[in-house]
Amino acid sequence: MRRASVVRLIVLAVTPFALAVANAQQAPPTTQAVVLKGRAPVSDKVLGVKLPRPREGTLANGVHLIVLEDHRAPQVTFSLQIPGAGGYFDPAGQTGLATVTAAMMREGTTTRTTVQISEQLETMAAGLSVNTGTSSLNATVSGSALTEHVDKLFDMAADLLLHPTFPEEEFVKYRQRSLAGLNQQRSNPGFLAQELWSKVMFGDHPAGRISMTSASLGAFTREQLVEFHKTRYVPDNAVIAMSGDITYAAAQKLVESRLGTWAKTGTPMPMASDPAAAGPGKVYLVDRPNSVQTNFMVGVQAISRTDPDYNVMELMNAVVGGGPTGRLFTHLREEKGYTYGAYSGLQAESFKGTWFAQTDVRSEVTEPALTDLMEELRLIRDVPVSSKELQDKKRSLVASFALSLESPQRVLNYYVTSWTYKLPADYWDKYPARVMGVTSKQVQAAANKYLDPSKVQIIAVGDGKQVAAALGKFGPLETYDTEGKKITAIVP
Amino acid sequence: MFSVPRTRLPRAALAVGLIALPFGAAFAQQQGGSDIKFTDTRLKNGLRIIVAEDNVAPVFSIAVSYNAGSRDERKGRTGFAHLFEHMMFKGSENVGPGEHFTLIFNNGGNMNGTTNKDRTLYYETLPTNQLDLGLYLEADRMRSLAITKDNLANQINAVQEERRLGVDNQPYGKTFEAVDSLAYSNFAYQHSVIGSMADLSAASVDDVAAFFKTYYAPNNAVIAIVGDVKTSEVLAKARKYFESIPSQPAPPAVDMSEPMQTAEKRMEMESQLARLTRIDIMYLTPPSDSDDESALTVLATVLGGGRSGRFYEQVVRQQELATSATASKGESRGPGLFRLGITVAPGKSAADVEQAVYLEIEKVKQSGVADWEVEKARSNARRGIVASLQNSLQRAVLLSEYALFYNEPGRINQRAQRINAVTAADVQRVANKYLTTTNRSVIVTTPKPAAGRGGE
Repeated sequence: MRRASVVRLIVLAVTPFALAVANAQQAPPTTQAVVLKGRAPVSDKVLGVKLPRPREGTLANGVHLIVLEDHRAPQVTFSLQIPGAGGYFDPAGQTGLATVTAAMMREGTTTRTTVQISEQLETMAAGLSVNTGTSSLNATVSGSALTEHVDKLFDMAADLLLHPTFPEEEFVKYRQRSLAGLNQQRSNPGFLAQELWSKVMFGDHPAGRISMTSASLGAFTREQLVEFHKTRYVPDNAVIAMSGDITYAAAQKLVESRLGTWAKTGTPMPMASDPAAAGPGKVYLVDRPNSVQTNFMVGVQAISRTDPDYNVMELMNAVVGGGPTGRLFTHLREEKGYTYGAYSGLQAESFKGTWFAQTDVRSEVTEPALTDLMEELRLIRDVPVSSKELQDKKRSLVASFALSLESPQRVLNYYVTSWTYKLPADYWDKYPARVMGVTSKQVQAAANKYLDPSKVQIIAVGDGKQVAAALGKFGPLETYDTEGKKITAIVP
Repeated sequence: MFSVPRTRLPRAALAVGLIALPFGAAFAQQQGGSDIKFTDTRLKNGLRIIVAEDNVAPVFSIAVSYNAGSRDERKGRTGFAHLFEHMMFKGSENVGPGEHFTLIFNNGGNMNGTTNKDRTLYYETLPTNQLDLGLYLEADRMRSLAITKDNLANQINAVQEERRLGVDNQPYGKTFEAVDSLAYSNFAYQHSVIGSMADLSAASVDDVAAFFKTYYAPNNAVIAIVGDVKTSEVLAKARKYFESIPSQPAPPAVDMSEPMQTAEKRMEMESQLARLTRIDIMYLTPPSDSDDESALTVLATVLGGGRSGRFYEQVVRQQELATSATASKGESRGPGLFRLGITVAPGKSAADVEQAVYLEIEKVKQSGVADWEVEKARSNARRGIVASLQNSLQRAVLLSEYALFYNEPGRINQRAQRINAVTAADVQRVANKYLTTTNRSVIVTTPKPAAGRGGE
């Protein structure tokens, strides 16, 4: 459809590792994946969508409040972000301290046991949790409930936030449960791929680890949790976003009455730093015996959320692998039948993140599938995206705004993003125009800037004895076992 | 038809702690205030069209439920209904292969297809100015599916990868398949929706054509359209696009009869990919239109709902015998299953864990349940209904399924009252009636280290 396969074969020889790549041997017959007959009635209009604006203000203790009033459904959702309390700030050698602190905050307060917390919340069918990720800057307290239960929900949220007791008995139990989970997640190929991917991409940067270990979990003490909570859960830079069946005035009153004692400490806004460069491109294999598929993550370090290239990269990502209309899906699934899905993603936060392509293919087609995936990276660098294809992707991004209007939470999330990354006040109003203004030249320039063949890393999880030889054709190969230890040889 | 990438990488999603909390484990929702109003129309060719207007957002959803699920498959063609679903995206007379989803996504919409034992569902959500597009695309493939050998071979490959991804490469993947094959005796529900590799490979172009003619007839489908539309306009357009598609003789009735179970069934399995022992327990229950359905839904909440559920509080938190323990009662046109799933904590005996779970069931049977536990289920129902007010697709799906399954789309407005009518005594009664030794099937799956590799 967009390019003749003849072109693809001719240019294949330019692919970085292509010299050693034998052409697809076990490939099934290919089909013409997408044919546009153009007979279906399409409205050319892109629905002009005006996002409702939330109301914002800053409270006496420094907490910023954003409220999107929406009375269509009798429920309220809130999310309190606390910068500085996330896993990004785990002390060296204590990966998971922030995660465990957050999780333990719902295991008991000065006035409620863990069982009372569960029963009270679930009797209202309300949600309330404290979470963070191992590389998040923020910890998040989030909750939702029917309008009639909002006061009670927020009472409990404030209680978890301000008065957790980290009971030793519950900590012992939490540790037991989590240890089993840490073991269990190693059976999941997706986890193994992400673990190694993060290590390769981010090295010693906080984003280099995606989970605590049984060793780090086993070493945490209750005192460490208490201290982390005391010093890190401060209101100075926090934001509360609320949406649903509540007015700004009522939200302000609710927050001030429940969190009035949460005192400012003078803590500056915590900052993140970019990771060091990821080193020359290699192939990394996690040997997972008995795997019937190879799970791939392939990509590079790219940009932060505030990078001027963000919208261009968003479009480049949409072209290559943003959903079932992306080239990866069209090519690897709809033409070749190698996989159930093939996509790409752009992960951009306050520090430099990654761009990646990912797919899971049956072991036998590991080599031809990776060849084709690498070819898509080359094509986006070498061949300008046609104006039709680019226009389709732009339209898709802009027109899908209408769908987000069904949910106030989704609309509010746009503004939380604005707050998090300090985007201009009219960022979302001008978003459609900005997207529509991106050119094919810019997309190609970004592809060449970021998808540098010498920097592309390939992570694969699969059965080493079936796939290691094929993977070795794509570059220097390093192999790990499912415990994350580097191994020198695969036991046949 | 496809699933969104698992690997999205917002890291918060990777938080540890395998606490499985299916809050709405049970199927239960209801709306906060007034009823959802809809019209229910049958075209001349038997196609049923349900329309519900609202002005929540400039958006509408279409749900098309075909009366064709894996229960309609014959022996030797397991997985066929789902494979067929994939073919519905490979083009029709006026729509090219892949054009359907290309047009939906390029115009800011969202869509997918999904198959279960009871039906095949196609849906799209679009900005309100694309009503013609959505109806046209659904009508064209209902009228004139294009079936080619190459497209079929391609989608057999894609579906076989879906099976590898979801079953063969996952810890306990084969156990989940065995759940139905052990619990049911009737082939209709006994085999898996995804099907066997051999049966998928055997599917032919003739099979696709015959299935299309029989099951994808307008008189064998229900379409629900919900959102920012005008009913009269939707009906006029639906007539224009769909009414000339010829009806077909009704498909053969499926024998869903399930013999009464008289003894416990047990099975042991090994998983080379798993690391902890898992116990699956299934109790046979009546179809979801039975009078006991709501009480069973509440029972699932009492036992397995959240951290205040009895299984979590007793077996996971207090006794530390399991790392997770869930209970669920899913929607089912035919005989249903009340399902328990338990992950055994490291170092604990599966037999002890199983007994601990039975003890909790026994307590409900002997002493009943508390009012707050029933209240929990009622709140769950209300929360679900309120949430669906912001989701035109969810309402469209329910309207089309309730019409197809029970000939009663109005059930969408009875969700809260059905749950509210359940008393603590009802919950105790259904526990005694269905959660019995002779009515259960049990699968214990233990991890098996790969031979000669020093364990996994």
